[in-house]
Amino acid sequence: MPLSATVDASKRDPFADEALAHLDAMYGVACKLTRNPTEAEDLVQDAFVKAMRARDQFHAGTNLKAWLFRILTNTFINKYRRGGLERSVLDGPDADPLADGWVSASTMRHLRDPETLALMPLVEREIQNALDALPADFRLAVVLSDVEEFSYEEIAQIMGCPIGTVMSRLHRGRKLLQRALYNHALALGIVRGEERVGPARPAGGRHDGAEERETSKAANLDEYRARKRGAV
Amino acid sequence: MNMHDCRDRSRMIGPYLDGELEAAKLMEIDEHVSNCETCREEAQLLCATRGSLKRVVRGPAPSGLRERIGVAMAAERARENARADAGSFGSTLPATTLGSWRTIVPLATAAALALVWGAATRSAPQTAGEARAGLVADDLLAELVAEHSQPLPPEVDAKGVRRLERYVGVPVRTGNFERAGAHLMGGRVVPFHSQRAAMLQYELGTGDNVQRVSVLVYDAQKIRVGTATNLAPREVGTAEVRVGREKGYSVAVTERAGVGYLVASDLDQDKSAQLAAMIYDDR
Repeated sequence: MPLSATVDASKRDPFADEALAHLDAMYGVACKLTRNPTEAEDLVQDAFVKAMRARDQFHAGTNLKAWLFRILTNTFINKYRRGGLERSVLDGPDADPLADGWVSASTMRHLRDPETLALMPLVEREIQNALDALPADFRLAVVLSDVEEFSYEEIAQIMGCPIGTVMSRLHRGRKLLQRALYNHALALGIVRGEERVGPARPAGGRHDGAEERETSKAANLDEYRARKRGAV
Repeated sequence: MNMHDCRDRSRMIGPYLDGELEAAKLMEIDEHVSNCETCREEAQLLCATRGSLKRVVRGPAPSGLRERIGVAMAAERARENARADAGSFGSTLPATTLGSWRTIVPLATAAALALVWGAATRSAPQTAGEARAGLVADDLLAELVAEHSQPLPPEVDAKGVRRLERYVGVPVRTGNFERAGAHLMGGRVVPFHSQRAAMLQYELGTGDNVQRVSVLVYDAQKIRVGTATNLAPREVGTAEVRVGREKGYSVAVTERAGVGYLVASDLDQDKSAQLAAMIYDDR
């Protein structure tokens, strides 16, 4: 991994070199944690200096990146989120029970850009806002998994929580993102339907008060499922 | 297939795409996704979101940040070297008067009584300004050391210490002191002024070699123990602690996510600082 050549060569240190290879990733996640580029720089610097100080505690051959991210997370919680009590920081508020999305998924097909395996540029801009609006623990879990591609076990270590909690945070975080994107797409007229705000209705209840289009969609699904049942 | 099955499976689509499913489950979801249009759409949307998230979050750090951090890390290393040369590794304090403890009880094999004072939510005095808060903090330090020097018997055993939370209003974590050879004996609620604290009691060692340490866990937003002038900042690994002495006992204070922890002990300041750092690092 290339390091900046402008660092004084006499001060180069193998550990620092290795650690700084993860600078871009650390900074990206720090931006998402702090939602403020200046604070993110300070947070990342604090984390790297702490890593330097504690480098004897790092066991060579183990996952340096996960270790660094754990320090980053701890530093964030301790220093930048000192406002809240321990329990409220990473546990976050209980999210609304969320729809499992399988009804709206086909609606959201329209959000996808068929070319790039990503979202349509119009919607993609909103993903930044939607991500920033997530509770901190959901946001971190989603970023660690979807962007940094840590395993659930690594995320559990970084966030200091059980794997089941990681899965729940990921699921709920992704659902909240989808809902935000859906509402955004709705506002842009990309999809038609009704805004999702509070707790999502149970799937079977979608017929109640749902607009005609949704009803017919649900009916189509029933038809689809009936067809599947017959076919299988 | 009924609606319920599909909903259950749709919950597994995330782990499926994340490569976190065991083989059997993976095959099941794989088959389901290839047969179920709705779940396939869900999977594709998740993939698309993931791709977009990568684009949104990833990017180079600002130019100059790498250099700045490189210099800061080098400076940290230089500080360590200077400390090592001076023979006072990691310490920002004058030599401790409790130095003799070190020879009595080598830390690695230390037997000690650690009291973790899982402690208290205290309301800040309603009329308190910063000066008053400092005063209270010093009072608190003295009271804690008094509790440490003349401990009352525990009210709950080691398994019951978390029950103290309801009386003190903050998470009462016991700290992973087993690594340091300390055994949790129990805990109790301790009154401080008009508030309550929980005191957890650890023991290290046996017989005449028993050593005692005390930690107060408190709401750091309301109590500012760390601002007492007789506590000096120190860094232990990644942990930030403050250390000092009170009536011949060493004390160390750390803070994590709004919860303060104060360790008072028969041990030297280094050991107290290390115990506080263990709390800080433990998550």
